[in-house]
Amino acid sequence: MLKYILSRIGAMLLTLFLIMSLAFMVVRLMPLSLFENPETDPEIQRKLEDKYHLNDPIPVQYFYFMKDIITDLNFGISVKIRPGLDVFNILISRLPPTILINFISLFISIPLGLIFGTIAALNRNTWIDHVISVLVIIFISVPSFIFGAVLQYTLTFAWPVFPTLYDSQAVTFAQKMHSLFLPIVALSLNPTATIARYLRGELIENISSEYLLLARTKGLTKAQAIVRHAFRNSLIPISNTLISMITGIMGGSLVIEKMFAIPGEGGLLVKSIFAGDHFLTVAVLIFYSAVSLVTILIVDLSYGIIDPRVRVGGGKA
Amino acid sequence: MIYDRNNLPEELLNLPASDFEALYREDIKDEKFQTKPVGFFKDAAIRLTKSKVSIIAFIIIGIIIILAIVVPPLSPYGFNDQNINAKYLPPKMPIVEKLGIMDGTRVLKSRKVSALTDPERYPEGSVIEYFNVVTVKGQEMCDVRIDAYKMAGVPDNEYHWFGTDYLGRDLLTRLFKGTRISLLIAFFSVLTNVFIGVVYGAISGYYGGKIDLILTHFAEVLDGMPYIVVTILFMILFGSGMVSIVLALTITGWIGTSRLIRAQFYRFKGREYVLAARTLGVSDRTLIFRHILPNCVGPLITRAMIAIPGAIFSESFLAYLGLGIKPPNPSIGVLLSDGQSVLLQYPYQTVFPAILISVLMIAFNLFSNGLRDALDPTKRGEE
Amino acid sequence: MAETMKSEMMNAEAAGAAAPEKDVILSVRDLRISFRAYGGLVQAVRGVSFDLYRGETLAIVGESGSGKSVSIKAIMGILANNAIIESGEILYDGKDLTKVKEDDFHEIRGHRIGLIFQDPLSALNPIMKIGKQITEVLRLKKGVSKAEAKEKALELMRVVGIPDVEQRFDQYPFQFSGGMRQRIVIAIALAGDPEILICDEPTTALDVTVQAKILEQINQIKKDRNLSVIFITHDLGVVANMADRVNVMYAGKIVETGTSEEIFFEPAHPYTWALLSSMPDLQTKDRLNAIPGTPPNMIFPPKGDAFAPRNAYALKIDHEKEPPMFKITETHAAATWLLHPQAANSRVEMPASLKARIERMKRSGGFNG
Repeated sequence: MLKYILSRIGAMLLTLFLIMSLAFMVVRLMPLSLFENPETDPEIQRKLEDKYHLNDPIPVQYFYFMKDIITDLNFGISVKIRPGLDVFNILISRLPPTILINFISLFISIPLGLIFGTIAALNRNTWIDHVISVLVIIFISVPSFIFGAVLQYTLTFAWPVFPTLYDSQAVTFAQKMHSLFLPIVALSLNPTATIARYLRGELIENISSEYLLLARTKGLTKAQAIVRHAFRNSLIPISNTLISMITGIMGGSLVIEKMFAIPGEGGLLVKSIFAGDHFLTVAVLIFYSAVSLVTILIVDLSYGIIDPRVRVGGGKA
Repeated sequence: MIYDRNNLPEELLNLPASDFEALYREDIKDEKFQTKPVGFFKDAAIRLTKSKVSIIAFIIIGIIIILAIVVPPLSPYGFNDQNINAKYLPPKMPIVEKLGIMDGTRVLKSRKVSALTDPERYPEGSVIEYFNVVTVKGQEMCDVRIDAYKMAGVPDNEYHWFGTDYLGRDLLTRLFKGTRISLLIAFFSVLTNVFIGVVYGAISGYYGGKIDLILTHFAEVLDGMPYIVVTILFMILFGSGMVSIVLALTITGWIGTSRLIRAQFYRFKGREYVLAARTLGVSDRTLIFRHILPNCVGPLITRAMIAIPGAIFSESFLAYLGLGIKPPNPSIGVLLSDGQSVLLQYPYQTVFPAILISVLMIAFNLFSNGLRDALDPTKRGEE
Repeated sequence: MAETMKSEMMNAEAAGAAAPEKDVILSVRDLRISFRAYGGLVQAVRGVSFDLYRGETLAIVGESGSGKSVSIKAIMGILANNAIIESGEILYDGKDLTKVKEDDFHEIRGHRIGLIFQDPLSALNPIMKIGKQITEVLRLKKGVSKAEAKEKALELMRVVGIPDVEQRFDQYPFQFSGGMRQRIVIAIALAGDPEILICDEPTTALDVTVQAKILEQINQIKKDRNLSVIFITHDLGVVANMADRVNVMYAGKIVETGTSEEIFFEPAHPYTWALLSSMPDLQTKDRLNAIPGTPPNMIFPPKGDAFAPRNAYALKIDHEKEPPMFKITETHAAATWLLHPQAANSRVEMPASLKARIERMKRSGGFNG
């Protein structure tokens, strides 16, 4: 087990290293204009040269780039969006709204998905199941930014129930929720549907399994058998979909944050890409990578803990 | 009911003696299968065509592809024909316009009533009706429905079915030109993914051992990179354009395919028929391509089909981030992203590409679901 | 006193002619079950009647698709959703089990009637500890304390022959061999303390050497706990050492019923002949006789005797009219026109090779030669 964890962490660090190298290429190879642009403030220019050791050969620059990030979390300074400011600080300041909408979307969609998946499985091939299936296919197929646009037009413009854009004056949690409601809904539809579809399939398979029959023949009620055996066993493979769900929500929030002008990481990333502020872009992307790698690691390890076949190290049976 | 043989009821007594003739048939054989053997793909095709949903999805995909091919050349407008006079025209479609929708009109809010008669600002016939008249500071204000085409001085016989954008470009032409580009991107990215994945997975699975270990670990490290991050970095590095999008979607896109192929190879390379062929001296290449790979075709097709809507989604996603294809070329994503910026003023610019991408994605998902079920060997022979 | 005597006698009469002194614990009366399928209604069970006496082992033998598993699923109340019980009753403890609602059936399942599965490999929940799977029913349904339940589970595991029970208690199914898993399944079936145990081909999925041990174990448990056992199998060889009485089923009907001796030494139905002939035998070098042909399509069961198309000894009437059950002895009956008095003229007898084999078996005093 320990070996398994270590190898997972090793692979993860290697991946992060790869991403940072790619990021270095973006910063150093692409935007020469950033460094040599005559319009850039000479103050910033000097800072840049200092920070990036521009007079050293490329491999040395690469070394400093990596070292700065690893030891000091120093991602450089913003050039266009907030000229002269430390990128990492900008990153931190934009964290709260992103965390809010991502986490709330995740924590709404998991229970909702489980509920709808269970309802569909227990009412298999009835109209309830069919209605859920149709909704599931729509929510899985149609991208979140389409839902974002539809919700924005209908519920903020045609029938103005919610604010069109993020209300930066919102202070209380209720106020914040009011202005974040639509983005969260737009982000939650797809993961909810994904979980519902997956759970339905797993549950149906487990409900028709031999061991559920055994659970019933040993005298458990149908409800006891389903909850204690089918449901529990269905949750294990579900945890695998969490990875793609979380990265999906994070990706969706890039566009959704921009759409609703939410001052989070996603909006920052889009802005920095449009502005060509590559230090900022790279920092946000490394942040995203770190978050998603940690998620993958957590899910992987917890998978090992939940499933005795992985934990105890036996074969599949 | 058990009958005593010495005390049988009436109806069982005195049966015709000929009934009790022994037949002693010697020709009893296992019944021959009366049906013809059905090949894997024929069986899959039969089951696919029995699923109404799959057929409808297939037809919708077909129609959209045909429109993407046919509309741009047949349209009177080029996808990049700009017309400064005709910008932001709402949709206007012959016949449908008589129903009161898509008739080229638009409502302008809070206009001065007195100005409505000014031919400089409202050319003749452009004002259709006005309503909600209120007096604000002695000025009579109203909402007015205008014929945007007349107002822009566009000839009566000019129709833009889906309206025009901020440069006066015809959105119908652009939408289907964009669909064509999006589909091409999806198609080529899936094709390269499948190609790389098959080669990589086949090598990994067929040779096994050290090679497999190294290849698998490499794929694992690559797979850990979140695809959003990789594609964005890649797009920044190589700039926008069709080729870079296809390549960006390939960097981590092939890994799933290679995993699938590797697993299939592990399953089949130990089978007796493969071992038999190998002892006969069949070359590695023939073994891979003739004996093992055909087993992977079913899951491969399913996978590729599921990947297409994914690629279409990724393209629009990148377009939203400003990393789409090079202007002035349209794609569904570019049109959506452009439309989004004027969503509240000109919703029609978002409506049509949004409907198209939604229908396309749903159709592809439904069709690939049907395909998956049809190609699933455990469901063979089911109706 | 006299009342009960009388009612017992009446019961015995109702149970048919067989063994009047015995006590009927479960009675299946004219059970008919069909399944809705794509092609139409599959008539899986077509009028099956039998009694299970207290303390006996009743074997039900037949090919796959003969309706034996469906019958016992009906007894357990676990028929698939597309099954329809068209008629008949299953009498147990004064109740008709076909009428018991799902909400109440769990009081019977496991606690009164236990079931041992065919495939122990898939019957255990892969992610639940063995111990928990055994104690679950005790804890949930009997309200036994945790320690007490564990004590009982360990006891049961010992009874079914699991070594190192303390350690095994906390292990998972994938850490057990096939034979061990089947023992666990038996322990689970015994946990609810049932009085009837139904074994659905309990050894089919196991190695031959393990098979014998498991069968022995079931026999022993049956004696120790005074269980009544219904034993489903397609293998007459297994039946020989287990069963007091045998029902042979074909195409959803019981075609022959009798004591083990009667079925093995004096088989009357051509299908039973065929089954016996197809048993492997070490004594002779005779070709093993497989039963030719395929079981009938139960959406359109053949008229007459369902076995007639595959029966080399069929009479003309077998193809036209369904044979009723003819009584041979008090305990033995078979549904074949060969037993009709008028059939004597046709002089159809069991195949000579089978006759020789039965003689041999009789001499050696065992069924397996």
